[in-house]
Amino acid sequence: MLPLEYDRSEDRDIIVRDRFDGLRREFLRTLVNPEVIEEHRQLPLGQHSERLERLLIYFRQRPLEQRYAVRAIEPFRRYQVVKLSGRRGVPPRLIDDAIYTSANDARHGLFLRCIRDLLET
Amino acid sequence: MAQIKIFGYADKISVKPGDTIQFHVSADGTSTAEAHLVRLIHGDEHPHGPGFIEEEIDCVANGTWQVEKQFTQVGAFLEATDPDRKLALDGSITLCAFIWPTWPDVGHRQCLLGRWDNDRNHGYGLGINPSGRLEFWVGCGNEIDYLQAELPLQKQAWYFVAATFDARSGRATLYQEGVVNRYNSLLSKVAPVEYRSHVSEMFRFRQNNLPDTPFLVAGSRDWHALRGHFVSQLYCGKIDRCGVFDRALAREELDAIRAGGKPPSDGMVAYWDTTKGYTDRGIGDLVIDIGPNQLDAKGYNRPVRAQTGYNWNGRNDCFRLAPHEYGGIEFHADAMIDSNWKATKTLELPETLRSGAYAMRVRGGDGEGLAEEYIVFFVRPRTPTARIALLFSTATYLAYANERFATDGQIVQPMAGQPPTISEVDIEIYENPEFGAGCYDTHADGAGVCYTSYRRPMVNMRPKYRIAAFDLPWNFPADLSILAWLEHKGYEYDVLTDEDVHLEGVAAMAPYACILNSTHPEYHSERMLDAHEDYIAGGGRFICMGANSFCCNVAFRDDEPWIMECRKTGGHWIAWAARPGEYYLATTGQMGGIWTGFQRWGQKLVGNTFAGEGFAHSQPYRRMPDSYDPALAWITEGIEGEIIGDFGLGNGGAAGIEIDCYKLGFGTPPNTKIIASSGGHPDNYIAHDEEGAHAHQGFSGTHNYILRADMVYFEAPNNGAVFATGSIAFGSALPVNGFENNVSQLLSNVVDAFIRPGPLSGSNTTRKSTAGLERVAP
Repeated sequence: MLPLEYDRSEDRDIIVRDRFDGLRREFLRTLVNPEVIEEHRQLPLGQHSERLERLLIYFRQRPLEQRYAVRAIEPFRRYQVVKLSGRRGVPPRLIDDAIYTSANDARHGLFLRCIRDLLET
Repeated sequence: MAQIKIFGYADKISVKPGDTIQFHVSADGTSTAEAHLVRLIHGDEHPHGPGFIEEEIDCVANGTWQVEKQFTQVGAFLEATDPDRKLALDGSITLCAFIWPTWPDVGHRQCLLGRWDNDRNHGYGLGINPSGRLEFWVGCGNEIDYLQAELPLQKQAWYFVAATFDARSGRATLYQEGVVNRYNSLLSKVAPVEYRSHVSEMFRFRQNNLPDTPFLVAGSRDWHALRGHFVSQLYCGKIDRCGVFDRALAREELDAIRAGGKPPSDGMVAYWDTTKGYTDRGIGDLVIDIGPNQLDAKGYNRPVRAQTGYNWNGRNDCFRLAPHEYGGIEFHADAMIDSNWKATKTLELPETLRSGAYAMRVRGGDGEGLAEEYIVFFVRPRTPTARIALLFSTATYLAYANERFATDGQIVQPMAGQPPTISEVDIEIYENPEFGAGCYDTHADGAGVCYTSYRRPMVNMRPKYRIAAFDLPWNFPADLSILAWLEHKGYEYDVLTDEDVHLEGVAAMAPYACILNSTHPEYHSERMLDAHEDYIAGGGRFICMGANSFCCNVAFRDDEPWIMECRKTGGHWIAWAARPGEYYLATTGQMGGIWTGFQRWGQKLVGNTFAGEGFAHSQPYRRMPDSYDPALAWITEGIEGEIIGDFGLGNGGAAGIEIDCYKLGFGTPPNTKIIASSGGHPDNYIAHDEEGAHAHQGFSGTHNYILRADMVYFEAPNNGAVFATGSIAFGSALPVNGFENNVSQLLSNVVDAFIRPGPLSGSNTTRKSTAGLERVAP
């Protein structure tokens, strides 16, 4: 059961959403393995195994403020990973100094960040 | 030193040699910029293509321009025409209105109506205070008296509100009553919510009116040292009938108005009947005052008309059926349809200018990043001479103008199958509402954006731009790949825009033997759709280059073609949904949404239309049996093997991004042949819901054969014909390998055949003599 102090939101839907999310994350953690990560490294976009696809669908459905994005510093040459603010008008923020030399490399860096968030929380 | 930023727009999108065009530029961090006219040839910087290509054009406007920071009035409001200052009421007063606030708790004051100077604190106003409560105030410069309601306003609930002030006694009262029925508001009567508040207080001061303060609805006058007068305290929500009286109305009189009674003429200074002036063909920006002084109010930034009013009861779904139930005018604090900047440069275009896609390139400082702007416009010939026209989908460009869905759209990442790839200019427009939004966005108050315009910078109608959601050139920059292909192949061509087709109908298309449109011809007014149908039926040969074709219904006013209205309704692949009862276009009175809702599927026009979309990965086409028919062999002549387009700058294939399919049940002409088809798209391609009445597992790419791009061909009456690619990615495959590839070969085969006079090779001549159809194309 969730603690009573959790009942702080006027929108009770959030409580249900978070409970569902907790169960979903518990299952998704069992899908993470080196093969999945390698599969994504090789092909960030396109048709994936069901295991990888389930993880990606989850990451793309996170609340906006928990989603990451790629920032093109110079298209086709230099990219970074940023985190969305989820608040209208507030720009995404940089999460580290890593520079990627292709959009796909940045997408994979972003994916690894999502995996880390999934496993650590 | 401040970062240099340059943004601009032109007053026209389609011009002819010798026409005059105005450029409006705003600059940060510099007072000069270098301008040069350029002809745009290729806009995709993908390393596997030819890269960005422009041609500098001599022109008297080239050189150093003086530029300055320009300001934009954001927010919709009404301004009463009051030359005799009838509304400068210094004595007793009543203000009243039906209101439906959408964001009462936004946290800053919103003025509903009043003659209030927010900078100098003079005048009077009725509004919503930062705590979300109704408030009435009067000011005399040094002092302001306020009276607020006891409880906050509920969002999306209809109220009748009023303030009365007896100047003799100093008594001010607030009147707030809910007028919620079973249909008109968010909550029903089962919700135990209190709407009512009646409070009264003695004011210490009387209002003092400044001579030049305008009477505004949904905002109040303000002032800034750099920009001068502007409007602040902008309101988010609907206002139905509202008025001003020069006496304090009694409670019973206000009760009678709330109950739908005629407002009293005694003391009436103005009463704006928001339902007056409606026509069967649309609603304008003027709100009629039925009072004695005829102080009509003019909309700024196009307040949304044709919205349900306080007395909407769910039976009627359109203002044409029951105008008296459609008095709602909706205001948004971030609405913007015209930057209204001063003209920076006026140019009479050289008579020698060839038809094409042009831009005024404006660079400040080093011209890097935001210091470079391309103000795009299209030049038609004075007299058409080419047999080919390239039709740019300017209506679609308007729909997507300055969209921000990569950062605000919950659905975008699941739909796109990838995280967004955001550039510097995306962040710039995200931080600054002055750029205005597109019809894929919502206002900050949550309502969909239904008006868009090109009289403001459109950062995604530029060469080199890549849409953040999909990391692709999108619309205009992608369409330049078709133009570059025509250039590379040495075809003589003119350009046309959707605006030309809307304003002139089939006459704009008729001079051409063959018209190619764009990668994404999604948005069409009724006139545009009619023109296409008449052109093809009249012997025109049409190549539909893209996908998601002819899907959405939009409207323009003839005298303001730079503003487009779009109401999203029907289907589940829409960025936002018009509210119940608000599906009809205020511009024309026609239902908005998708052409499917009118039995005008795109298939009826070009043989295929929207199957679905997926964005992250493209596929090749495979030749279908019809391509081996000897009568149609000319289409694939010179192409080896079964696979067409297993390459492309649009995600590695010629079939993808958004894809269209053949469907007899949606009106594909029965003589249509499928030359090639894709399939096996990844599962982030989802069939759109016209393909099935109920969503279910198996709607996605690897499960569903409907998810495919069909390359179709059919002959039309009068020697007309249609070839449609069914894929947005098709155009981006053309430039691969220096334009030498089988997609390019196939398109050449079709264009060569289509521009050749006389019947098409292998044509079935019995189809040529359809009675009653007049030939229009050469």
